Amino acid sequence: MLSRILLALSLVLLVTSLALIFFVVPTERTMGVVQRIFYWHVPLAWNSFLAFFVVFIASVAYLWKRTKNWDILASASAEVGVVFTTLFLISGSIWAKPIWGVWWTWEPRLTTALVLWLIYIAYLLVRAYASSSERGARFAAVVGIVGFLDVPIVFLSITLWRTQHPSAVIFTGGLADPRMILTLVVSIFTFTALYALLLVQRVAFKKGEEDLRRLKRLAESE
Amino acid sequence: MTFWRKVFAITWKDVLSEFRAREIITSVLVFTILVIIIFNFAFGERVEMVAVAPGMLWVTFTFAGVLSLNRSFILEKEDGCFEGLLVSPASRDVIYTGKMLASLVFLLVIEAIALPVFAFLFNLTVLTPEITAITLLATIGFVACGTLFSALATNTKARELVLPILFLPVVVPVIIGAVNASELALSGKSWGDMTGWLGILAAFDVVFLTVAYLVFDYVIEE
Amino acid sequence: MENLGYLFAVYTIVWAVMFGYVLILIRGQNKLRQEIQQLKDSIKEKSP
Repeated sequence: MLSRILLALSLVLLVTSLALIFFVVPTERTMGVVQRIFYWHVPLAWNSFLAFFVVFIASVAYLWKRTKNWDILASASAEVGVVFTTLFLISGSIWAKPIWGVWWTWEPRLTTALVLWLIYIAYLLVRAYASSSERGARFAAVVGIVGFLDVPIVFLSITLWRTQHPSAVIFTGGLADPRMILTLVVSIFTFTALYALLLVQRVAFKKGEEDLRRLKRLAESE
Repeated sequence: MTFWRKVFAITWKDVLSEFRAREIITSVLVFTILVIIIFNFAFGERVEMVAVAPGMLWVTFTFAGVLSLNRSFILEKEDGCFEGLLVSPASRDVIYTGKMLASLVFLLVIEAIALPVFAFLFNLTVLTPEITAITLLATIGFVACGTLFSALATNTKARELVLPILFLPVVVPVIIGAVNASELALSGKSWGDMTGWLGILAAFDVVFLTVAYLVFDYVIEE
Repeated sequence: MENLGYLFAVYTIVWAVMFGYVLILIRGQNKLRQEIQQLKDSIKEKSP
């Protein structure tokens, strides 16, 4: 039921967001049409951060309560977070090419996202390499906590590093037009709904796998 | 007081076995010097040494850190010593602090020998109080999170591979901080210019010593 | 109106990746359902 509602909501929001981006919002003066990438780029960043925050909370809860469900939530959220971060990095670099003439720039937020992406890839790998699933859950929870607490320090250090070297100006104009703000807000809601939908689906899937494993073990022992 | 006595017993055990077997320090030291020499072939005389020296130094020390931290728990695992440590009356936080201090000692010894070699080969003055302070702060950061990840990595299927995958993205702030602070120190800047960087290194140390101390329990429990 | 290609590239890639991810999820879920069915059948055979 929940996933039906979320599916309908995300589809409606997706169409609205696309319509706003391509037909309603005015073109930004300095960057031209490419600036419209921003309306999906920012929501992706927001929601990957939300996803990793959920990983952090669920990891703490797992180590504390030791219930499988928290672990399932953490790993599902990490996976969706990695997908979102990947898309954030791709859209960022496609944006950078026409504006600054390079595919990649060591802009603090982009660089932090790259480090974040690597940390959560490691999170997924640790789980995969662990010798038992219970161990994997414990190890992943530790990485989920440590990795998240590392983020502010990473951001701080990269910002300090970049301010010493000249870096590209990101966004001078600001969101002058109210239609721009509306589009951004709708897009943020779109991706939050999409995140919730994917998370619910992934959690249900993982729970199903868990149940199946238990049933199989039960069937074999009989 | 008994906490520290137990901690020093574990540290002393590691130092003593290292003193007898000479496994970690000798091999990592040889590795370190090899890396420094290889960097020399890579950069040659084409570039200003002061510009690349901090980067070379910290890349070398980071890899040396990965190597020696990896050995720290694999050695315990190979001879089944770790089980002995776990059944001993020492609590888990004692084990963490003890192993962390032992790794700190090893790395500091390696750095104390490698730095003069570095200074000798590239004609730089690295033996200053500034560089010493930076090295100490950065190395504490390395071992604080490295000991946690090393213990975690030894319990996975791909032991030696898991540590660098986890360790390198997480220590990004330490590397950025150490490289930039060393750059300032080598070009003769005063303490005041590098407070920002030293602050980041210190913040990383405090955060990771605390967090690793708190979650170490979950990494080694059987 | 130059640079339109970059704009479309971003929206296409984001769509495609999302779509691909959902597709992988659906395939996984179908496989899971099949396995559950197999398990049910094997239990039925054992205890008629």
